[in-house]
Amino acid sequence: MAPYTGIPLSPAELSYLHTSLSQHPPIRPDARSPTAFRPLIAETDILPAANGSARICFADGTEAIVGVKAEVEKTPSASSHSINSHSINGEVADEGVRGLGSGGVRDVEDDGMDVDGGEDGKQSSKGRDEWLEVAIDIPGMRDDDALPVFLSAMLTEALLADGALKDKLYINTRFHWRLYIDILLLSLPLSYPLPLLSLTTHLALLATRLPALVSEKDEDPLFNDDWEASTHLYPPTKDETARQKPPITLLVMSVGENILFDPSREELAVADAVVAISVTQSHTNTTGPDADADADADSPNPLHLIALRTIDPPSRLTAAGLPNSLNTSAGAGAGAASQSLSSVEVAVTREKDQGVSVWRPPRGGVKRAVLARMIKMVVQAGGVGEEVLGGLRGVEI
Amino acid sequence: MPLDTSTYALAHLRLDGRRWNELRRLHAQISTQAAADGSSYLEQGNTKVLCTVSGPQEQKGGRGGARDQGNEAKVDVEMNIAAFSGMDRKRRARSDKRVQEMQVTIASAFQSTLFTHLFPHSTITVTLHILSQDGSLLAACLNAATLALIDAGIPMSDYISSVTVASAPSSDQSLDEMDPLLDLNGLEEQELPFMTVGTCGRGPGGGEEKVMVLVMETKVQMARLEAMLSVGIDGCKQVRGILDGVVRSHGKRVLESKVS
Amino acid sequence: MPSEVTPSTNNHDFILTALRQNLRLDSRPLDTYRPIDLTFSSDPDTYGQTDVRIGKTRVLCNISCEVGAPYPDRKFDGVFTISCELGPMGSPAWEVGRQDQTEIILSRILEKTVRRSGALDTESLCIVAGQKCFHLRADIHILDHDGNVLDAACFALMAALLHFRRPDVSIEGEEVTVYSVREREPVKLTMTHHPFCITTSFYPSRQGSDDDLISVLDTTLQEEQCRTGSLTISLNRHGEVCNIAKYGGVGIEGLSVLTCVNASLEKAKMFDRLLKERLAEDEKARQAKIGAMGLELSAENERVMERPVG
Repeated sequence: MAPYTGIPLSPAELSYLHTSLSQHPPIRPDARSPTAFRPLIAETDILPAANGSARICFADGTEAIVGVKAEVEKTPSASSHSINSHSINGEVADEGVRGLGSGGVRDVEDDGMDVDGGEDGKQSSKGRDEWLEVAIDIPGMRDDDALPVFLSAMLTEALLADGALKDKLYINTRFHWRLYIDILLLSLPLSYPLPLLSLTTHLALLATRLPALVSEKDEDPLFNDDWEASTHLYPPTKDETARQKPPITLLVMSVGENILFDPSREELAVADAVVAISVTQSHTNTTGPDADADADADSPNPLHLIALRTIDPPSRLTAAGLPNSLNTSAGAGAGAASQSLSSVEVAVTREKDQGVSVWRPPRGGVKRAVLARMIKMVVQAGGVGEEVLGGLRGVEI
Repeated sequence: MPLDTSTYALAHLRLDGRRWNELRRLHAQISTQAAADGSSYLEQGNTKVLCTVSGPQEQKGGRGGARDQGNEAKVDVEMNIAAFSGMDRKRRARSDKRVQEMQVTIASAFQSTLFTHLFPHSTITVTLHILSQDGSLLAACLNAATLALIDAGIPMSDYISSVTVASAPSSDQSLDEMDPLLDLNGLEEQELPFMTVGTCGRGPGGGEEKVMVLVMETKVQMARLEAMLSVGIDGCKQVRGILDGVVRSHGKRVLESKVS
Repeated sequence: MPSEVTPSTNNHDFILTALRQNLRLDSRPLDTYRPIDLTFSSDPDTYGQTDVRIGKTRVLCNISCEVGAPYPDRKFDGVFTISCELGPMGSPAWEVGRQDQTEIILSRILEKTVRRSGALDTESLCIVAGQKCFHLRADIHILDHDGNVLDAACFALMAALLHFRRPDVSIEGEEVTVYSVREREPVKLTMTHHPFCITTSFYPSRQGSDDDLISVLDTTLQEEQCRTGSLTISLNRHGEVCNIAKYGGVGIEGLSVLTCVNASLEKAKMFDRLLKERLAEDEKARQAKIGAMGLELSAENERVMERPVG
């Protein structure tokens, strides 16, 4: 999937960029260090009607707003008796609301529930994947365009892989919260908007508060209507570093052996490989084998890799440069020479050039060693991941 | 209707403690987004609208050609109501008739106020993001669009300022009359018959404001229209003053930053 | 994409200059309608099918109903939908499946005028609360577009609603019986009031100035293309305004809005009278047809064999 097309750079410019980015150390167009991020403006709790909200504005003018809304929903119960009565009701209702959409969707979910309701293995995690919904709105694009669908899939994947979030939505055996994360990109996507959206979602989730529950156990849920008493979805702790946090997704690109963070639009145009890395802080309340591992670790909250996706770099769509020896318009002599070349010879000459003298879009994948270094740079203690989280800690919530 | 406005008759105060002719807090900023040609952010009470303008520019995409042959610029409005903007989460399809109607209204109101003849063969795109809604949506959108278009530097004859007016049972119960209420919030809008009035001034000394936009969708007695309309036009004048203040203070800031 | 033929500059200027001298191409005064013609289906079993012609503008409206389930959040209301069809038959500028501005405005204004103002009592369409109700559907087709489609469509819709009869039902316990037209006399719909749309168009009275405006009723297509603004008001004969719509266009003074409303009231009363007259005539004709010899004995050769496709 192409993030965007129409890169306004010539093969010569691309080649220049690529060369400067493959220096040691790399020279980036805006003179940043490889791990430096561009400055951003962030604020939270900007919307009165949402449970949590955040806005981030990048220096290049791209801006996103995220609103998180939670609704109480009935959990279809696992016991067979109530399933029967429920589905009968569902069918009757379905006739009336056909074409309304939401009613139909809910019924489909009910069917899914029946199947895995009997599974006892599910008991360890109380949450279900479908309790979380991420929707992305990008101006000028339809909702079913590839970019928003792909982005929301990636963000959902990271949030769910964490495991902690969906468990937080559990109220009791009969009810749960349904969390809607609506992401609004306000400007046209200049660079690949994934990190912007991920960071904004991160802040919005940190700011999300749910009304405090006053009912007990399996009663119909009753909430304290005092917003002051509401609880954070991710409760704040005295030591901010120890606070449990939603995952973040960073965009990392490589040029040759160099690894660059927070690539700009121009840099992406010459990337050899682009990878989206989602990391989260391991949390103390996880049960299972890795809880012990956490306790042994040096750092109080080492970062964990939870999702990794390679992204088709836009550089693949750029036009290749033409080696001078093949340039028919360069001069009479060269022209005469190239006309005598057969198409096979032309292809061979092009292949041999291999991007040595002119720009050629990258081919193939990323080296395993480079990928390993990328991940390491993000997750290691004092690495980029911690740096970003530290930076976001500065945002008042 | 459970949440009635009958208390208004007793205390002369509305649900949120305003008097009949009081506007809600109207706060606006312009030039909020660096990436757009013009932008504004407007809060009218709890209704929050973000507006960006791009253009005048050549029409993008494949559907150009036949359409931009005119010797006037075309105003295009895109409205996006965020799913989290209301009380309940609701995703609105882009083909929603109500939204499309508002788009048409805003586009055609500005089509006749902007000096479109100065930009032949081009398009001015106004994008409105509704972040939070609590009544007077169309009015807030018109006001936000005015500011963003001013920020974009597109010449226009005057501000379009807009406000809603309702007709409520009179505070004086001995009279069988109705009191007009200015600038409704979401609850009042659901209960009372109301209309959205948008006026355009006529420049300095140009005479009286003219009604550009007038949309009413609830049943009301003819006799009440006069009071509603005159209060509405008056409210628009107030809004225009506030918008003008925003533009002037922004201009001042820009000038000061240039000097230092 | 096809678009309407716009009048040439000469035509445009000619129409404007004429209007400034109180003249129209069809020699009507500025505030009168073209002859309005309303016909109902000639088949005595068909109700709710109207054909309205205002001058050359022609609108067909057909009402149909079936039994279905109500919306779960509105258990005591029936379902009423209005759908507008603007096809290439009406005007070459319209395409099937492509929404254009006329269609959005038309369907929104009809929606506001008839549905939101509660002209049709939807509660009367309820059969068993929360389970069964009538789904009423109004299909409006613009067959010929020569200006003022809005007023014509609204008139056609109101006429059709007033003419329509839904099948009678009886409820015994859980059993619901719907009777066909032959079994039991069908029932009229419950209408609370009869709103009509009146559109006023505005023209500048001097070149390049918006100060004084000429207001004109019932414009033809050519006149419509030359106007600088319009105001649509929906109201019933009691002066209850259900909808005012002025989407941009030239600015008008507050006072002239009120003048327009008053002028529109007269026209609404005119529409109302006309509709009542025509309904009464139609009723009489139907009675005569049935009353004389009974339907079975009728040997009319002109009987419609198939219902016209609406």
